[in-house]
Amino acid sequence: MIEISGLRKTFTGQDGAPVQALGGVDLTVRDDEFLTVLGPSGCGKTTMLKMIAGLQTWDAGEITVGGRPVRGPGPDRSMVFQNFALLPWATVLDNVAFGLRLKGVGKAERTERARDLIAKVGLAGFESKRPGELSGGMQQRVGIARALAVEPQVLLMDEPFGAVDEQTRRLLQEELLAIWEANRLTVVFITHSMEEAVLLGDRVVLMSARPGQIAEIVDVPLDRPRSSDVGGLERSREYVEITAHLWDRLRDMHEEHRAAPSEQAVR
Amino acid sequence: MTAYPTRAPRWKRVLDSDRSYRLLTFAVFAAVWEVYGTFWGGLLIPTFTETAAAFADLLRTAAFWDALWVSNQALLLGFACAVAVGVPLGVLLGRFRLLERLTDVYLNILLVTPMAAIIPLLIMSVGFGLLSRVILVALFAVVMVVVNVRTGVRQVDPGLIQMARSFGASERQLWRDVLIPGALPAIMTGIRLGLGRAVTGMVIVELLMVSLALGGLILQFRGTFNAAGLYAVIAAVLIESLLLIALAQRLERLIAPWASTHQQGKARR
Ligand SMILES: Nc1ncnc2c1ncn2[C@@H]1O[C@H](COP(=O)(O)OP(=O)(O)OP(=O)(O)O)[C@@H](O)[C@H]1O
Ligand SMILES: [Mg+2]
Repeated sequence: MIEISGLRKTFTGQDGAPVQALGGVDLTVRDDEFLTVLGPSGCGKTTMLKMIAGLQTWDAGEITVGGRPVRGPGPDRSMVFQNFALLPWATVLDNVAFGLRLKGVGKAERTERARDLIAKVGLAGFESKRPGELSGGMQQRVGIARALAVEPQVLLMDEPFGAVDEQTRRLLQEELLAIWEANRLTVVFITHSMEEAVLLGDRVVLMSARPGQIAEIVDVPLDRPRSSDVGGLERSREYVEITAHLWDRLRDMHEEHRAAPSEQAVR
Repeated sequence: MTAYPTRAPRWKRVLDSDRSYRLLTFAVFAAVWEVYGTFWGGLLIPTFTETAAAFADLLRTAAFWDALWVSNQALLLGFACAVAVGVPLGVLLGRFRLLERLTDVYLNILLVTPMAAIIPLLIMSVGFGLLSRVILVALFAVVMVVVNVRTGVRQVDPGLIQMARSFGASERQLWRDVLIPGALPAIMTGIRLGLGRAVTGMVIVELLMVSLALGGLILQFRGTFNAAGLYAVIAAVLIESLLLIALAQRLERLIAPWASTHQQGKARR
């Protein structure tokens, strides 16, 4: 579904020094795969996701989605943002229908589709509320409904549950699993949490610290559907082993970084 | 006695409202004024009650209503021009950095120049008529409008702009659905502050340039040492400004009702 090859990007930092964010990323995301991406802070995860979304240019390499090279945002991809990015003046209904409205879908149809999705993410009855009246978890449900409303082939999620509390986060994970298992599509999901990466992903991509590269891709051979028995899954041997392995790798990366900070900065 | 926090009794809540505090401060102010005016005021400072009586008399004279009308003509026209020019200009400056860099100097000049200084200049070029009063009011107000609108457009959450672009928004859609509504609270604030400046401009121009209308009345009362009358006119101007500001605030809440709930939401997070 998504082919990334030789992707490189160097930013100019605030002090004028170059910051190499991506140092040649090669990655293939399969059709209808749930891919989670894990890596130390600042390794270029967001940068890569924005490039797939068509919101960020790159220096070298190529990205294709469904065989077509990415040249900007497109209706085949939609994004869920960490800080929700909801329009504060618009109701839940209008927020969910936002993408459809931009695409020129008529009012009756977009209202109907938006209502459908609002119900699907468990917010029926909140259609006329404004984001300021909702909890963080509810706001991100709106963000997810908005992204799904345009019926994308690829869903790009940048730490979507990073700004909500632990309990809400677990509920949202289960809900996302249920929605995805009922209606599969390709998902690229960035997270800081090893548990989340393993719980949700078919594969976990581990990125190395700056410059971002793919360090390892870990298969997660846990049965689907997972939404029905998240508790049992978290006690399973595979789950525990994979999370432990991921943490070992990440801890090594952090230690390397600490051991040679100056060298990192030069690179 | 009880362990739960109970709702305050009604009389307490009424006393605690903004309005009762405002009434209280006003009563204290009036009382101090009255006492001061009575014992130390002499000829030049009337008491509160004298002023109130003069105010009531003023409302009964045709001259006052004529003056009010003439003054407000300039205010309305000038303020309308300021909004008509200031809002689009502010929007453009907020969105396009280059334009802003080119005009920043002039805006700053407008912001810091004592406007009164350009009155003679205006009179020399456009004369004493309604036009020069309108221009001056507009000049007073327009800076506030431009600066606030510019800030408003610039502080629209870049995350929202990015979100809209990710859903394929065109530049036109971006304006209609994100930038304008996002800047609306600041636009309304600019309009409200601009209104305050417009009233200032209206009075100043009448005092310094052409002694006419409300400003003329002030000068006339001063000339005849009618202190109470002078204070009454000033009170009338004050009351009008307060009413206008209240109206603008009401409008602000009507047009951008999310602004307050949004801020609360932010504070909670
Ligand atoms: N617009 C930009 N200008 C300059 N530097 C940038 C820009 N965007 C990102 N960077 C730099 O590129 C690097 C990668 O940033 P990115 O946001 O992709 O990291 P990340 O993996 O998403 O981090 P986190 O886990 O903290 O979200 C960082 O060092 C960041 O400072
Ligand atoms: Mg990030």
